[in-house]
Amino acid sequence: MKKILVLSLIVAIGLTFLIGCSSKEEGSIKIGVLLPLTGSQAKFGEMEKNSFDIAQAEINQAGGIKGRQLEFVYEDDTGKPDVGRMGMEKLIAQDKVPMITGGYSSSVTFAAAQVAQKYRVPFMVCTGSVDKITEPEAYDLNKNDGDKFYVYRINPPVSEYASGLEGFINSVVKPKSVMIFHEGTTFGTKGAEAFAKTCSKLGIDVLGTESYTEGTVDFKPMLLGVKEKNPDVVYMIAYVMDAALLMKQSKDLQLSPQIFIGAGAGFTMPAFRENAGVASRKVVSSTLWHQSLPLAGAQEYFDKYVEKFGAENTPDYHGAEAYAAAYVVKDVLNRATDYTPESLKNALDKSDLMTVFGPVKFTSYGKKIHQNKMDTYVVQWINDELKLIWPQSLADADYAFPINYAKEWAE
Amino acid sequence: METFLQTLASGILIGGLYAIIGIGMTLIMGVLNIINLAHGQILMISMYITWVLWHYFGIDPYMSIFITIPTVFLIAEGISKYFLHPLIDKDSILPENQVLMTVGIGMVIMELARTIFTSDFKSISPTTTLRGEKIDIPGYLQNSIHIANISISIPLLIAFSISIFLTLGLFLFLTKTDKGRSVRATAQDKGAAALMGISTAKITILTYGIGSALDAAAGSLLLPIYYLYPDVGPIFTVKAFVITILGGLGSTVGAIFGGLILGLAETFGATYISMGYKDAVGLIIFLLVLVFFPGGLKRFTKV
Amino acid sequence: MTNNTQNGFFKLTKFEFTAIAIIMISPLLFSWSMYFQGLLIIVMLWIILGLSWNLMAGYTGQVSFGHAAFFGIGAYAAALPYFHWRISPWWGLITGPIVAVAFGYFLGKLVFKLKGPYFALGTLASGEILRIIFGEEELITNGHNGIFYMTTWTSKLPYFYIAAALAIFSILIIRKIIQSKLGFYFLSIREDQDAAEALGIDTVKYKNLSLAISAAMAGVAGAFYMIYMGFIDPEVVFALHNISIITILVGIIGGVGTIWGPAVGAIVMIFIQELFRSSLFGLGPEWLSRLHSLVFGALVVLIILYMAGGIVGDWPIIANKIKSWKNKTEGQS
Repeated sequence: MKKILVLSLIVAIGLTFLIGCSSKEEGSIKIGVLLPLTGSQAKFGEMEKNSFDIAQAEINQAGGIKGRQLEFVYEDDTGKPDVGRMGMEKLIAQDKVPMITGGYSSSVTFAAAQVAQKYRVPFMVCTGSVDKITEPEAYDLNKNDGDKFYVYRINPPVSEYASGLEGFINSVVKPKSVMIFHEGTTFGTKGAEAFAKTCSKLGIDVLGTESYTEGTVDFKPMLLGVKEKNPDVVYMIAYVMDAALLMKQSKDLQLSPQIFIGAGAGFTMPAFRENAGVASRKVVSSTLWHQSLPLAGAQEYFDKYVEKFGAENTPDYHGAEAYAAAYVVKDVLNRATDYTPESLKNALDKSDLMTVFGPVKFTSYGKKIHQNKMDTYVVQWINDELKLIWPQSLADADYAFPINYAKEWAE
Repeated sequence: METFLQTLASGILIGGLYAIIGIGMTLIMGVLNIINLAHGQILMISMYITWVLWHYFGIDPYMSIFITIPTVFLIAEGISKYFLHPLIDKDSILPENQVLMTVGIGMVIMELARTIFTSDFKSISPTTTLRGEKIDIPGYLQNSIHIANISISIPLLIAFSISIFLTLGLFLFLTKTDKGRSVRATAQDKGAAALMGISTAKITILTYGIGSALDAAAGSLLLPIYYLYPDVGPIFTVKAFVITILGGLGSTVGAIFGGLILGLAETFGATYISMGYKDAVGLIIFLLVLVFFPGGLKRFTKV
Repeated sequence: MTNNTQNGFFKLTKFEFTAIAIIMISPLLFSWSMYFQGLLIIVMLWIILGLSWNLMAGYTGQVSFGHAAFFGIGAYAAALPYFHWRISPWWGLITGPIVAVAFGYFLGKLVFKLKGPYFALGTLASGEILRIIFGEEELITNGHNGIFYMTTWTSKLPYFYIAAALAIFSILIIRKIIQSKLGFYFLSIREDQDAAEALGIDTVKYKNLSLAISAAMAGVAGAFYMIYMGFIDPEVVFALHNISIITILVGIIGGVGTIWGPAVGAIVMIFIQELFRSSLFGLGPEWLSRLHSLVFGALVVLIILYMAGGIVGDWPIIANKIKSWKNKTEGQS
């Protein structure tokens, strides 16, 4: 037993030397990326990684960073906060990266952000959406502690996901009442809360909020509430397959609200239309991005991704967030004096650039600092294609409203 | 009233499907005296087979039952023969070693599925590309019928009917055939069964296969209604053991009622309490039954 | 405390002394990497959990499938006072085990009526019910949002030594129990509950006692998890697979009913997980990182099949095999 212990210790020490040597590689600038690459969230993690890879190849082809190559070092958080924290520590302590980006699920991202804050390494979140992530309060800091706060975020927080929707609802739908259905996760719960708040601001009655757990096969008992209470709007926060089931079963029940609205996430994906079939018609959803937006490079990025990974793998806003994050990294590295966490943080503070995801500039508002303020958009499934319908100035199709769902579904 | 009836219909239909998953579990539990924690993963194997047959060969999910049942039966026989059965004679501190083995097997199955099929969602979508051609799937795989304002999904109805049919078949097998009687005898008293000249070892292995085959049928029936990904198994394992306890260990008739009760508890819980608590309702009933009616429904049904 | 040389609390065998010494210096060997130090802390955490399960299952024969319940209760005992009243989670190291024991007392009333698979299912359900309730009761538990806390230190060392102290203390307690009369009662319940009762042992009392000690340990582990990680949510701390089942697997791999088994199991489990997750620490091809759960599952299957006593329990057999294999190869040359 003792021998084994000693032996394993020797092996461990030997291994550490091996690693110590192998990581002493000069040349490329390494930037950490934390994403779920295995586990149940792997699909989006994969999409973001692909987008980082595309951007990395482009940047290096164009000469890299002042002649040096840019290299993204990926860490798999497997969708669990504790593994995410370990991954962050590995990036910081072992790979010695001066900056980290990525961050997919809300809980993992927040847990990881604390590690970054602790070690004073800038963490530029590109997807994790719970509001707290950019609120210094949650880290026992205050709003004036910007120079002590190392967390930045490109994407809007979940409370603003529906901000684009607000205009659409207010000036087009003008509903009196709404019912909210959401998945029982942080994203779902917070999104539902934020939307309920928006509703009370707009003077819309929330007739009910229902959540469901994974493994629900039959949503009909839950959806029946719609028949009973007859709301004008049915608002749903669900992941792609559940989103499809919700719409299919709404169709089965012949629900007839004025409009079905999805909260992004699942409702904008091609798999949603495939699985919901006719039930997907005229469904409206908020979204953070659409390839037809008049943003330089957006369509090109979309086409490039499809060309590389096949037509059945179209990227959505997650991919665009990652691709944009890669270019923010490039911009920051180009402006930084050296590649230490401190000087990268200074460069991040002064970021002001245009990306395929929209303008990126870290500002301070409300309880948040280092938050990129961004518009969100509204899309609708029209003729089985996802069209941008709001804001009208950017739209590539006219919105369809009012909608006769019974007729749409009848085929 | 309409809400009540719709909830009732939904509960009964989904309960029928749960029942067949539960019967498989209860058979295994009765004869092997273990909780099969790989039950959901075996269901998942069948769902993947059904999906592959549909996606690549265009075989109707209900037809593929004829393929999934024997295939999964053979896989389960292998698991039982080479992984579970050898543990019986092994000297071990814990009698639960076989249960823990099913945990390990479940993990391996799940991760193999992830390696082969990735974490992507698979499903039978309304339009499918088959051999380069886009086709609409048959109506009975997606539509629903309406009876007096109550909407009943056809695939769920089919699943319910086939479940009943298979349950009856199993019932006949258990009561009318020699093999079936041996299974029941082994479940009741292994020692006595062995004395009567039954090869309990063979029966034990066979039972794991039969239990898994029922699970396989449920998998094929579930695919048109639900969707598929590598982590889908554990959700249904939990449902299966709740049913088993509700119905009473090893009781097939009990499992039918257990399935229906769980289905109804879930849907009524969702309608009248809150969807989020849906799973808790089943589990709390389960714990109460476990503690206060240790025999489950078996007390009343005796089979 | 007795001064008996046989089972003095701090009297260590040579092996135990070496093992503890290695534990104590291990973070210093890894001082160049916070990441490895972090792994060592996680190992300590799993040692405590494994020991906790092992006392109930391995020594008393009550195989729990719901240890996440105690772990999660301990974690929330540390987190909730902080969430509501900003009371430091560090108090959780005291309140965590107390609350876990209180919960265990009521759970014991329910589940100890059950035997065999029923007991396993009852404990499994208790963990699942808590997971759902803590997820839904947002006003009290903050639901799925979880609870965050800025951790106290940047350095890993204080956390490590606290965790290591807790783990070693747990090992010593278990050792003490097993060498005492109490341990004898536990073992007799495991071997044959009816016979134990016939001998006049109050099995209900001793099963509850075993549960209480076990719950306290798991509660401490949970509270420490909150303190160290700074984040919990119901899905993380009440996880059926990631906590309850992995706890069992740690026990099985190391050796059920052995004092050092959980420690070995925890090291092996974390080592395999990280070895594969990081693709052999970045030296291997990337696809290896996808296999970590598969390899771990396969290891569990193989150990149950060929090493029913676990690594520690079957060590004499393994050592013998290695010896004979050595002799054979030496004889050939």
